[in-house]
Amino acid sequence: MGNCLQGLTSSNDGVSLLRGSETPPPLLESQSSSDLQLHASSSSGMAFGPPPPYEESMPMYHPTPNVSRPASQLTEEEQVKIAKRIGLIQHLPTGTYDGCKKNRECVICMVEFMVGDAVRYLPCMHTYHVECIDDWLMRSFTCPSCMEPVESALLSTYEAN
Amino acid sequence: MSELQSALLLRKQLAELNKNPVEGFSAGLIDDSDIYRWEVLLIGPPDTLYEGGFFKAHIYFPKEYPLRPPKMKFITEIWHPNIEKNGDVCISILHEPGDDKWGYEKACERWLPIHTVETIMISVISMLADPNDQSPANVDAAKEWRENFPEFKRKVARCVRRSQEEML
Repeated sequence: MGNCLQGLTSSNDGVSLLRGSETPPPLLESQSSSDLQLHASSSSGMAFGPPPPYEESMPMYHPTPNVSRPASQLTEEEQVKIAKRIGLIQHLPTGTYDGCKKNRECVICMVEFMVGDAVRYLPCMHTYHVECIDDWLMRSFTCPSCMEPVESALLSTYEAN
Repeated sequence: MSELQSALLLRKQLAELNKNPVEGFSAGLIDDSDIYRWEVLLIGPPDTLYEGGFFKAHIYFPKEYPLRPPKMKFITEIWHPNIEKNGDVCISILHEPGDDKWGYEKACERWLPIHTVETIMISVISMLADPNDQSPANVDAAKEWRENFPEFKRKVARCVRRSQEEML
């Protein structure tokens, strides 16, 4: 599936990208395709380790929706943008589908939700499979159903609290 | 979205369109072994200059569908401001969200992963009825549509006639 977010959602790195700007911008470091981690870099400069061992599927990032590049080929600015995006996506609530009749189908893959499927709720309350929506949000930070920009909705929720 | 999932999604749409055809077009595959390359036959929408025409077009889906949009190309000759002379269709919903070269398209008018062959065809049918001369792909056709409508009509009528002859 090549979903680079799976490792992140399961092991929260505790870096909140929403709280304050005093945190230095995190850098992406590609270690292996399944073990991509966010680091809050304490030193300046690029913190690349040794090149990752050869693997067929490097995690791909999309600095713009039609561009796919591995982490090692991103500019620092793109890394920051993508790291922030990953951080914001992690702040969106997830759950497991409980059989609610209101949301029957994930409109991205057009497959009916099964009880127990991992789903993500956007601020507009549209619901998708985590895998389907995360891949899209990494390209475009909008709700596919209502086109609401997720970032502004998310930030206004935070400000309200 | 993995290759398998995009293929599943497209197969599902094909089966659904075969079972419940949508007015205005029919859809199939160019080659039955390749789910990513579709052939559609678009019926010129009633009450438009294209009425009575049968326009064949191909839709090419990327393996990353529905995260990325397909490309669409008319195979039958067609004269329209938003269709290039080589047949390539230029409508905003087939443009990727970050791909706004000219800065005039709102994000909401661009590609979304919930678009299907059906919604794309509905957009194309509406484009035929209502050209957008703000972003002409065929500048000559756009100019003619604005400034010399009788000639534009003649050219479209010729395309319609030819498309009917091709169907025989």
